[in-house]
Amino acid sequence: MKTEFQYIGKRVERQDTADKVRGKTKYVGDMTRADMLYGKLLTSDKAHAKVTIDKTKAMMIKGVVAVFTNEDVPQTPYNSNQWFPGAATAEDEYVLHKIAKHVGDRIALVVGETPEAAEKGLNELVVFYDELPVVIGFEEAKKNETVIFGTSNLAFEKSLACGEISEGFDRADIIIEDSGSTPKVHHSAIENHSCLAEIDPFGNLVVWSPCQVVFQVQHIVAKALGIPYDKTRVIKTTIGGSFGGKGIPILEPVCAFAAIKLNRPVQIVMERKDSVAGTRSRNATIQKIRTGITKEGRIVAREIVSEFDGGAYLTNAAAVAMAFGKKAFRLYKIKDQKYTGRTYFTNTVPGGACRGYGSPQLHAVSEININNAAKAVGMDPVQFRILNAVDPQEFILGAKDDIGMPGIGNARIKDCLIQGSEAFDWENKKITVSSKNTNRFAYGIGVAAGVHGNGYHGGFPDYTNVDIQVMPDNRIMVKMGIHDLGCGTVLTMQQIAAEALSINPKSINVPQADTFTSPYDSAGTQASRVTFVNGGALKEAADLLKEKMITSYAKLFNCSVDAISMIDGTIGHEEGKKISYGELAILSEAKLETTLKIYLEYKSKGNPAVYAVSFAEVKVDKYTGLVEVIDLLAVQDAGQVINMTLAEGQVEGGAHMSVGMALSEEIKYDKQGNLKTENFSKYHLINAPSMPKVRTLFIQDGEPLGPYGAKSIGELAAVTPGPAVMNAINDALGTNISDYPATPERIIEALSRMRS
Amino acid sequence: MEINAVINGEKVKVTCHPNKRLIDFLREDMGIISVKEGCGEGECGACTVLLDGKAVTSCTILTGQIDGCEIMTVEGLDKIGELEPITESFVRNGAVQCGYCTPGMVISTKALLNANPNPTEEEIKIAIEGNLCRCTGYNKIENAIKDLKVKES
Repeated sequence: MKTEFQYIGKRVERQDTADKVRGKTKYVGDMTRADMLYGKLLTSDKAHAKVTIDKTKAMMIKGVVAVFTNEDVPQTPYNSNQWFPGAATAEDEYVLHKIAKHVGDRIALVVGETPEAAEKGLNELVVFYDELPVVIGFEEAKKNETVIFGTSNLAFEKSLACGEISEGFDRADIIIEDSGSTPKVHHSAIENHSCLAEIDPFGNLVVWSPCQVVFQVQHIVAKALGIPYDKTRVIKTTIGGSFGGKGIPILEPVCAFAAIKLNRPVQIVMERKDSVAGTRSRNATIQKIRTGITKEGRIVAREIVSEFDGGAYLTNAAAVAMAFGKKAFRLYKIKDQKYTGRTYFTNTVPGGACRGYGSPQLHAVSEININNAAKAVGMDPVQFRILNAVDPQEFILGAKDDIGMPGIGNARIKDCLIQGSEAFDWENKKITVSSKNTNRFAYGIGVAAGVHGNGYHGGFPDYTNVDIQVMPDNRIMVKMGIHDLGCGTVLTMQQIAAEALSINPKSINVPQADTFTSPYDSAGTQASRVTFVNGGALKEAADLLKEKMITSYAKLFNCSVDAISMIDGTIGHEEGKKISYGELAILSEAKLETTLKIYLEYKSKGNPAVYAVSFAEVKVDKYTGLVEVIDLLAVQDAGQVINMTLAEGQVEGGAHMSVGMALSEEIKYDKQGNLKTENFSKYHLINAPSMPKVRTLFIQDGEPLGPYGAKSIGELAAVTPGPAVMNAINDALGTNISDYPATPERIIEALSRMRS
Repeated sequence: MEINAVINGEKVKVTCHPNKRLIDFLREDMGIISVKEGCGEGECGACTVLLDGKAVTSCTILTGQIDGCEIMTVEGLDKIGELEPITESFVRNGAVQCGYCTPGMVISTKALLNANPNPTEEEIKIAIEGNLCRCTGYNKIENAIKDLKVKES
């Protein structure tokens, strides 16, 4: 039965976007301070080299205040990926590096009175590179002739399994084998990385950062610089896109170091080539998949081996391999399955979180393999998926999946497939699509499914704190460590609290994360946790606040709690006086000596799966190899959408990233480790004319553990459109392209291979 | 060199190195922060401004080139009351997420509508082909522009 909501699911308008249109919103690069200095990073031109820098000439430039190199900074190693202090990991990064391990590695900082002075100083640095052998690609990494860190380039290896795959494969009638690859992807937030650090009048360090986890930035900066955590204030600024790319501190330690050292505000704004080369990327993969099926089309066994290019620093070597692997056990019912993940160091941009965290890579290749499995038994790919997809799990707190991870919850993958194929007109298109073919153009359709999670529960600490208070002017103040990455997180929280308290969302203020004012949050705005975990916490805190408000009213007006109602910011008894929440707050303070306020530490109660299915139709030009996506339907199992406009925005934007991965996006290096795609002229994002209209369909069947039934949307949105496009291309051409992206060159090559 | 230009409706007479990029001149000398840098090579469109009514990327124009010309940014459109319908449509359609590409996108929209008040879907797409957006997938931006067209026709 559907509940009627007052605010949940409604297209409430964001309050921050009008100023963004007017150009009034300030990003870090727009901020200024009296006496502010400008920092310019020197990043390495070489992929692997010992660096010696002569600062003499640079220091003589008028307006250059300081030049810092590795010799000037604390020699405390850290792992920038470590988002909470207790996470076990090796540490291999420094504020500035003496040995450059990839093109774009940070090796010096020039600080000037003006951007021009800093730039001039940068150009006057004399840099000597003592070059070391370079490790590019998996083959070189595995040779271990040159080891980038520790004793081997193998940075991480682990297997996950359920059942016994040899027994599973024995029961199979057919085994379908595929191999494939996915590239390094640049997040391509249009705002480049930036940071501003200053010292406040009380001697505290203040770091202004467009980040995803203020407490991670605090931890990394305090640790790397050896300064007190409690005197390290990190404030999340307006962010010009992140997608995981700004999730790991890059500039913050060096910017903070310069501000402390010079006791003046320092601002650093990166250029695009440094954002591509010197921050983080989606990890590239090479994969091998074997799937055993019966002649009736049931999957009985699967083995997935995926190798990850971790880049030059350890960062997320373990996390990405594990995040990828765990999802393999949550989409289809496969009794006997084994996954092995291995991450290697290479002299390329380090890996990091990137929208979907392992899911885009997993489904890129496995969903091609699933199509080939369906084909092998003559089954329709949608029907094959419906036959093998997981069913919703009965709601039991503490339920587990096949490998002992938290239960999958109300998994509506089959609804996505069934309702999606109807909305896409799959059955009809299947019959008619090839009739459009001409000598030059081939048409095809494709489907792909995918799964993602809701936070860290089951793997890492996943809790948050909420401080919610009724203000005297009938407004609500919510303090929690959230970071709006542009998706509308603030509005999502406003709508959740508004629903619980029955008050207009615009009357609720949810300032963003600040380590001095936000209560602690264990994991930040990442891992698809915010709506589910932070939203869950806020709903629970708001419900407790409501109880306190009702109790206070009953005491003040000497009535029973039963007939007290709260509607549209007004509380009253059916026979008594109606007062505003603000008036109740004033009376509670004056007469009951209490604040209408709740402080709640909330632990995530689960980590249900979320599912998506995309359907695509493509037109492939067999002469040029160019692909046009002419229809795209993205279906998401969303539990309960909090704001339909925001949800659609996530799915449409996710499709942009995923289709880009399928068709054109790829960070490329030559054998010496020189970056070949240092800007948008070479790294091809999809632009408006090439972007299809994305049709969206949300399955809203409620997740018992989510606030009002909600679960995650934004990361999953970037998972299935790409593989659906790839399957459509292969359908159109009769090829089996499984290396991403399907560039014109790859398509022409596959066609000529087929002809010969 | 001495630059005489009309910037956001006001006559400006300043001395500036002619080789300074227009984006830097507008941001640093004029304090116009809506003009954003995303790539520095004219590929992303975040720094788009109107130069004599045409949309150009200010990172690939030198300040010397604007002598005797008129420059318009969203601040200027706001001042003359031409921004509000666009703001309203972008907000209502959910066309803004992180917002970093938005002022440039709005300028391309304005250039289109000035020249062609009734653009087709295709013409809308082509008008913003030089403006990259990573958040929205362009769908809602195109809807916002379409809504403006209906109003103006």
